[in-house]
Amino acid sequence: MRSVSITRRLILTVLVLEIFSAIALIGAITVHERHLELKAFDATLRGSADSIMGAIQDGVNDTEDLVLDMPGMQLPKDTVFRVEDERGKIIGSVGQVPEQIALSATNATTFQNVKVSGRNYRFVVRHGIRILDPSEARGEVRRTITIVYGTPVDHVWHEVLEAIRFFAIATAILIGLTALLMVWLVRRCLSPLHELALQAEGITPKTWQFESPASAMEILELQPLVRALEAALARLQRSFEQQKRFTSDAAHELKTDVAIVKSSLQLLSMRKRTVEEYSRGLALGLDDFTRLEMTVQKMLTLARLEQPSELATREAIQPSCSLGEAIEEAVHQSRSFADLKEVTIVVQIGTTAQVPIDRRDAVLLCSNVLLNALQHSPPRSSVHIEMKVTGGSANLTVRDQGEGIRNEDRLYVFEPFYRGDISRSRKSGGTGLGLSICKAICERAGGSIEISNLTTAGAQVTITLPEQR
Amino acid sequence: MRVLVIEDEERLAENIVGALRETGLAVDRASDGEAGSYLAEQGVYDAIVLDLMLPGKSGQKVLRDLRRRRLHTPVLVLTAQEGKESTVELLNAGADDYVSKPFDLGELLARIKALIRRAKGVSTPVLTVSDVELNSVLQTVNRRGNSLNLSPTEYRILEYLIHRPSVFVSKRELLEHLYDFDWDHHSNVIEAHVSNLRRKLNVEGAEPLIETLRHRGYRLCAERNVV
Repeated sequence: MRSVSITRRLILTVLVLEIFSAIALIGAITVHERHLELKAFDATLRGSADSIMGAIQDGVNDTEDLVLDMPGMQLPKDTVFRVEDERGKIIGSVGQVPEQIALSATNATTFQNVKVSGRNYRFVVRHGIRILDPSEARGEVRRTITIVYGTPVDHVWHEVLEAIRFFAIATAILIGLTALLMVWLVRRCLSPLHELALQAEGITPKTWQFESPASAMEILELQPLVRALEAALARLQRSFEQQKRFTSDAAHELKTDVAIVKSSLQLLSMRKRTVEEYSRGLALGLDDFTRLEMTVQKMLTLARLEQPSELATREAIQPSCSLGEAIEEAVHQSRSFADLKEVTIVVQIGTTAQVPIDRRDAVLLCSNVLLNALQHSPPRSSVHIEMKVTGGSANLTVRDQGEGIRNEDRLYVFEPFYRGDISRSRKSGGTGLGLSICKAICERAGGSIEISNLTTAGAQVTITLPEQR
Repeated sequence: MRVLVIEDEERLAENIVGALRETGLAVDRASDGEAGSYLAEQGVYDAIVLDLMLPGKSGQKVLRDLRRRRLHTPVLVLTAQEGKESTVELLNAGADDYVSKPFDLGELLARIKALIRRAKGVSTPVLTVSDVELNSVLQTVNRRGNSLNLSPTEYRILEYLIHRPSVFVSKRELLEHLYDFDWDHHSNVIEAHVSNLRRKLNVEGAEPLIETLRHRGYRLCAERNVV
C-alpha cells in the first residue's frame, strides 16, 4: 500500500495554490503595468511632439515660412518624425515615417502602432496651429501643423518584463519562505498526533494505562480519535480482564478439585487399611473425581457456547426445539432433588414455542435455572415455572420463595464462578458456572436472561428467547 | 500437639483432618473465616493450616488478626494462587510456610510437623532429653537403647513434654494441646496416661524422668542429664 504523507500533501496543496495565485497576480500586474507604461510612453511621446512643435520657428526667408530649429535637442534613439503643414509641405523630418499612418482630419491627437523596418513603433499624430509673424506685411497667416512622431515601443515591453521579473523573483522567494514556514508549522501542528501515537505505542497486555495527551485533547479534530481510542481500549481491557479472571478462577476451581482427589487417595494409602476402609475411601475418591469431571465438563460446555456460532447462523441447519418439552424434561430431571428439599415445582405452560436452541442446550438451560431456584428455596416452599409466548418471543419465568438476590450481586451473578461471596463457598454446591452457561445459551440464540427480586420474598429469573416459526 | 484446620472445602478439610489425626495430632476444624479466627485466637494450637479463600473472613485477614494479637502459632497457608507476589505478601503478613494446591498430603504433614518442631525451638525430628530419644517421624521412643512401647496418647504426652523441658506443664495445657473438641475432657484421663508413661519410662538403672508437682503439673527433668 502506498502511504501518503499529510504534511507533504498539505504543503504541496498550499504551494500549488500559492503558485497559481502568483501566476494570476503576475498576469494582472502585466496588464496593469503595460497599461501604465503605455500611458507614460504616450505622455512622453506627446511631450516629445510638443517640444518639436515648440522648435518650429518662423523662416528667415520667404520661401520657407516655417523651419524646424532644434539645436541641441536630444531625441531618443531611433526616433522617427515628420512635421508638415496643411499644404503637405514638410517642415522637418527624421527618418522615414511610414505611409500607412492615417492623418486624421480632426484636430484630435491620435496614437498608432506601426511596424517600421521590423520594429514596433508607436506614433503620435499631433496637430497644432502656428501663426506666422503678424507684424509682417503678409498679414496674419495661420499654418496648421501636423506632427507625426514615433519611437520604438520595445523598451515599454522591456520595462513591463522587468517589472514582471521583479515580481516573479519576489514571489518565488516568498513562496520558498512560506514553504519552509509551512513545514515547521505543519510539523508543529501534527506533533500531538505523534504524542498520541507514542502514548498508544506503550499499551501492552500488561500495561493498559492510556493517558490521552493533553496536547491531543486540545485539538478539535483529534478529540474523536482520542475518545474512540479510549473507548476501544476500555472495552478491550474489560474483556481481557474478564478472561484473566475466568482463567484464574477456573485454575483455582480445578486446583481445589484436584487437591481433593489427590488428598483422598493419599490419605487412603497412608497406611494399610481394612477392606471396608478401602472401599469407603474409594467410593469417596470416586465422588471427588466425579466432581472434578463435572467442573471440567461445565467449563468445556461454557467454552463451546461462547464460541462464535457462525456455522449455525450461516447454514440452514439451525438448531430448533420445543421450549415446552425442554421445560418438562428439566422438571423431570430435577424431581428427585426437589423431593429431597421438599420443594413443590409448579409448571404452567400456556402455549409452547420452537426456539433456535439445540435440544440438549435447551434442557441444560431450563434445568440450570430450575436447580438454581431449588437450591435457593427453603424447605416446603414452591418453585413456579411459567412459559408464555408474546409477539414473536418466548418468555420463561422461574420464581422461587427463597431469600432473593442481593442488589450488588445482580450484575455479576451471570459471571463465571460468581457465588455472591468472594470466598466462593463451595458448600452451596455447584461450580458457579450454571448461570453463566444459561447466559451463554440465551445470548447465542439471540435472547436474554435476567434476574430480579419479587416484591414478595424470592427471586425471579426471566428468560426471553426469539420464537422460531 | 493440636492443630487447627481452617478450610471451607468440606472434602479437602476432611482429608487433611483425617491425615493429621492419623499421624497422632489432635485436630480441630473451622469451615469459615470467622469461626477459624475465633478458634485460632484461643492460643491452644501448636500449628494452624489456613486456606486463603474463606467465606466470612478471608485467610489473609485471619492471619493478620492473629498476628495482631501477638499470637505466634505457626501458620501454614494453603493457596491456589500462583506467583511470587502473593507468596511474598503471605510471608510478610505472618505466614510461616505455604503449600500450593494441589499439594502432596505427605508433604503437608511433614511441613506441619516441621513447623511445630521449629516453633518449639527444635530443628531435627529426633528429640533427646536426658537418656530418652524420641523420633517424631517414626514415632518411636528409646531409653538407654531400649525401645519403649508407648500408646499413642502416652507418646503424645511425652512428645509435648520433651518440647517443653524443665517447665511445669499443667494438666489443662496438656488437655488443650493433646485433645481436640471431639474428645470428652477429663483431667483424670491425663493422670492415668502420665502414670502409665512414667511406669514405661522406668527402665532399670535410670532416674525417674517425670516430676509431678501438685496443682502445677508435670515436668521433664532435663538437668539431671548434666550430672
